[in-house]
Amino acid sequence: MILSPKDKITTPQAAVIVINFILGTGLLTLPRSSTEKVHTPDVWISVILGGAIAIIAGVIMVKLSQQFPEKTFYQYINDIVGKWVGRLLSLVVICYFLTTSGFQLRAMAEVIKYLLLEGTPTWAIIMIFMWVSLYLIIGGINPIARLFEIILPLTVILFLVVTFMSIKIFEIDNLRPVLGEGIIPVLKGVKTTALAFSGPEIMLLLLPFMNQPKKAVKALIVGVSIPLIFYVITVVMVIGALSVDGVVMRTWPTLDLIRSFEISGLIFERFESLLLVVWIMQIFATFTITYYAAALGLAQLSKKSIHPFMFGLLPILYIIAMIPRNINDLFKQGDFVGNMALFLFGLLPLLLLIISRIKGGKYETNT
Amino acid sequence: MKEWISKIGKKGKVTNNDKLEATTSQDTTGQFTDNFILNLEMVKQEIGHNWDVHFREFNLGRTGIRSIIIFVDGLSDKDLIDKHIMPSLMVDFSAEYKQDLPYLKGGISKEFIKNEVLSISEVEEVRSIKEFTSKVLTGSTALIMDGSLNALILGTTKLKTRTIEEPVSEALVRGPRVGFTESLSDNTSFLRGSGEIENLSLVKFQVGKRSKKDLVVAYIKDIVDPELVQEVENRIKKIDMDSVPESGYVEQLIEDNYLSPFPQVQNTERPDRVIAALMEGRVAILLDGTPFALIAPVTLSMMLQSPEDYYERWIPGTFIRMLRYLAAILALFTPSLYIAFISFHSGMIPTKLAISIIGTRSGVPFPALIEALFMEISIEILREAGLRLPKPIGPAMGIVGGLIIGEAAVQAGIVSPVLVIVVALTAISSFSIPQYSAGFTIRILRFPAMLCAATFGLYGVILFFLFMASHLVKLKSFGVPFLSPAVPYRLSEWKDLMVRMPLMMMKRRPKMMHTKNPIRKG
Amino acid sequence: MKQTHSKIRPLFISLSVFLFLSLTGCWSSHEIEEQSLGIGLAFDKGKQSSIEKKLNEQGGGYSKRNLITATYQFITPLVASSTTKQAGPQQKSYVNVSESGDSFHQMVREISLRSEQPVTAHHMKVVVISESLAKSYKLEQLLDQNFRESEVRPSCLVLISKGRASKTLETKKAGEIPAFRLAGIVENAYRSTRILPPMSHIKVESKIKSGSSFLLQNVLSANGQVKFAGAAVIDGKTHKMTGFLNEEELEGVTWITGKGKGGVVKSFYKETGQLIVYEIETMKSRIIPRVKGNNISFDVNIESVGRLSENWVLSGNTFKNEFLKKAEKSSEKEVKRLVRNVLEKMQKEYKVDVAGFGNRLRIENPKVWKKVKKDWDQTFSETPINYNVKLTINDYGTSGGSKK
Repeated sequence: MILSPKDKITTPQAAVIVINFILGTGLLTLPRSSTEKVHTPDVWISVILGGAIAIIAGVIMVKLSQQFPEKTFYQYINDIVGKWVGRLLSLVVICYFLTTSGFQLRAMAEVIKYLLLEGTPTWAIIMIFMWVSLYLIIGGINPIARLFEIILPLTVILFLVVTFMSIKIFEIDNLRPVLGEGIIPVLKGVKTTALAFSGPEIMLLLLPFMNQPKKAVKALIVGVSIPLIFYVITVVMVIGALSVDGVVMRTWPTLDLIRSFEISGLIFERFESLLLVVWIMQIFATFTITYYAAALGLAQLSKKSIHPFMFGLLPILYIIAMIPRNINDLFKQGDFVGNMALFLFGLLPLLLLIISRIKGGKYETNT
Repeated sequence: MKEWISKIGKKGKVTNNDKLEATTSQDTTGQFTDNFILNLEMVKQEIGHNWDVHFREFNLGRTGIRSIIIFVDGLSDKDLIDKHIMPSLMVDFSAEYKQDLPYLKGGISKEFIKNEVLSISEVEEVRSIKEFTSKVLTGSTALIMDGSLNALILGTTKLKTRTIEEPVSEALVRGPRVGFTESLSDNTSFLRGSGEIENLSLVKFQVGKRSKKDLVVAYIKDIVDPELVQEVENRIKKIDMDSVPESGYVEQLIEDNYLSPFPQVQNTERPDRVIAALMEGRVAILLDGTPFALIAPVTLSMMLQSPEDYYERWIPGTFIRMLRYLAAILALFTPSLYIAFISFHSGMIPTKLAISIIGTRSGVPFPALIEALFMEISIEILREAGLRLPKPIGPAMGIVGGLIIGEAAVQAGIVSPVLVIVVALTAISSFSIPQYSAGFTIRILRFPAMLCAATFGLYGVILFFLFMASHLVKLKSFGVPFLSPAVPYRLSEWKDLMVRMPLMMMKRRPKMMHTKNPIRKG
Repeated sequence: MKQTHSKIRPLFISLSVFLFLSLTGCWSSHEIEEQSLGIGLAFDKGKQSSIEKKLNEQGGGYSKRNLITATYQFITPLVASSTTKQAGPQQKSYVNVSESGDSFHQMVREISLRSEQPVTAHHMKVVVISESLAKSYKLEQLLDQNFRESEVRPSCLVLISKGRASKTLETKKAGEIPAFRLAGIVENAYRSTRILPPMSHIKVESKIKSGSSFLLQNVLSANGQVKFAGAAVIDGKTHKMTGFLNEEELEGVTWITGKGKGGVVKSFYKETGQLIVYEIETMKSRIIPRVKGNNISFDVNIESVGRLSENWVLSGNTFKNEFLKKAEKSSEKEVKRLVRNVLEKMQKEYKVDVAGFGNRLRIENPKVWKKVKKDWDQTFSETPINYNVKLTINDYGTSGGSKK
């Protein structure tokens, strides 16, 4: 695919894409999944550590990509490990993006069915969602980036308003003691929390679209830090209100946090609708960007136009989303995606970076 | 005497040129020849059958040279013809011309007529009959003389213009009470006249294949991005239509995306708005015969701005502007949210409100969608009817209709009182949008929003929003993203987006316009 | 430009077609006026109502054990329209329906057989559980359906009634809605120390899960009137109700936890035996666990600032600090009595910790807590507790001076 010069994105836009990619299902489930592992109120420390790990992994990926600022991962991996291994790895990455997007789709449909639309068939919920997303990605990376820029401020404002309303039932005692049982439980949760930050991998593909690829590291750090703040706020507020023991019990703890209080006098009195607005938009963002990443991968692998792939992926995504039989299967799928990400974007980029550094001189003379 | 000779010399040259032209383009028909009778025949064949075209034959001075003036009754200024053209050709002419009788033999010199006889500002020569007829039919007076190759076109156009009035569609409390009129020259004079604008360019085009109209593209040369001007001109040149009666035609023929519900060119009746846009590096298009000028490119934020924002102090300006944004959101989403909450998520409204809604709705036989559609459509009909009715009864009709339909529908138990509030709120909000066509967009869009809400509840509304946002981020108006400067983020320009910061803080022109001169002077 | 148009068009068309088709579905749409708003719920020991009996005689009923009677309070559209449309409500503005059975969810669905507007629980405000039921069933079993389903909000309150719970959902006043009345009284915590902080479903659930004992507000009813009176003690291990704290004991707990927002302390002036009333403005309590080896003890420091709100002591001159000091002393003594009283009850009689001592230990000494966590209630009943009360009167209203 040839990039037209106008199809470039700015540095803030790259950061916004990373932010919107990261925020997704995690916003609702992270407090539970991490508390399950940590079992002390120190989850927020795990979240911060997880964020730090994500930043490190992200920087490695950016450094790798910066060696080939004109190419996406799908293109330059061939230069590093050869054509066949490269193609295979690209396919695995595409699979990863597809599974992630299918997972997000299904998680969204489950919450919607549970809270908003009991009785509406899943296919209807998923279908309309996919169509809107398809309409957006046909426009390419630039409209995607701009839409994300619309979503982000809405998310920030609504999310902060809603969570800070819950201060009414917040009890600081639920968050104490800090490190009462030492650092070990905190470390147990780091893997879970780090996976909640899956999203920096988009930098592997984003770099050639950026008008200033040199600032990619900056974009990445901002892009991970803002979700980090969000996640810390979420975890602190949820645990503060529901206590560690209460959080573990709930399927969607953040939603329950918002449903646990009513503020009369304000027009709404009940605020879960606002949280759902935020959350659906965030899932939409995550879904869209992974969808686009997968389509882009296929297009670049086959060196054909991207549009047929966009249309062709629709049914595949639908099937992936419908694979889990129940909600436990869904969470298992989520874990699977996480483990995949751990390998693909935790270890692989480091390996590739080392290989490319060793071969390093060659490219520079060539290009 | 010396002057005269030099003129003759010139004349000789000109006639030579004439001859040259005549010989080179002899074969092409539809051109004037030096045969007066033939010329006359040709003209008469072309336009002679029109009753309003007047032919007046006479002899030049007392020379016996046959000549004729042709003009359209009503379009041409008869006063001018009678007082300035005819006397100078018939009376004053002779006195001067007799002295140099010897020169007369070779026919008369049109240079002489032009330079010495006709005391009129606009004189032009045409050769082709086509050009000739189009000029005559727009009000000019033609003068054909025996022995002359060309017809002279005398600018005697007298348009029936109305007086300058306050713009009807964009009323302001504070600001100039001047609106464009139907006359292009009046309109351009507004632009020129309102303070001396440096480097204001007014470039003329003609649009319409059959009924030709003048169209002026206005921009400020040292501000505007030349590529933009090029693009606008290209699109105007591509207009392929029989006639272009109103600038709405132009708008639709040059816009980027004809499927979009959003207007991508702004129309305005206010010269001050046009000037403000020009100062930002935009291009204005004025068409003859309509008081609506077009401004391009346009962004979504412009639809929600009014010149008054700038005329008031910045605090009220900001307040009004924010209010308008709120109104736009309300107009778009209130009915759909009403449907979503009433039919789907009764658990998300406050308990006491839920009880009172249940109470008032318990007799209503329709689901919320039908109820809302019924009321929304009837209020749209009311609006339309109020517009079409004669002015004195229009508003009365609106009030009576609104009251009766609202009150009676509630009494009859067809709709619930809460819905009447919702509909009224929507209507008021949609009218508070300063651009009529933008208000239209919002009023139309709320219907699909309502359908989405009726199918998927709140989820549908959110997806509708995302769909609309997806459309908006893809939309461009003359290469400028429709949502700029909101996205991509341009923090420095946000001070004139949702808020209106003090004027001294707005020193730069919008960056999205790629202006040559980014800093506002002064 | 044209290229993208040709791609948008089929999308547009398919979307609109889909929208119109799906309109015929409207799968989840339930108009608000086709539902009854459930606002209150009461659980009692099984006892069939007379209507149920008659229905059963005619052949109604299904296979079930009549263990529990659930009383649903809801507002039907009919009731709602009569209360909103007329100037003043003429009759009862709520409907109570009782169902007996063993599964809560089945009982709710039974109501759909009896009324054209099914009950929704989105607006459920209170759940009242009768004492007899709370003593024989685990709380988590009683409330499981509420925890699980999406309709009941986690903010819905849980109360215990010493008598029949369904009686607390009745009133004789026209226009009053009993469930709202109960939920409203909870908001009055700023006026009395005898009201517990609201215990919503989510809090109850996390308390149950954490295994600590806790209190639930008790509510009494008589003749259509209700009163919040004391609290029920829920044991952390069995999750059943083990006993009651009366109103004064509840006050003591409030003083220990320091969570009161307002209220009064009545005491008698030492010298004359006349009445002095202290009104609480702020209340603060610090529980400090002290661990020495295996011995755990607690210090409780209670501090409060307030005003003298009622004074029957004729000789008392509120402009004099000595009198205020004495008044403070006398109120302090009363608070001490309340605290001592409830500690006695908690440690000796019920052997449970419902005042958050364990929680403080967890925060300050997590390691020790880990060891004692399992048998905390037992350990607690043997720990010595010292307490200090300090009240400060900083205000005595607009009337002062000696009355003589």
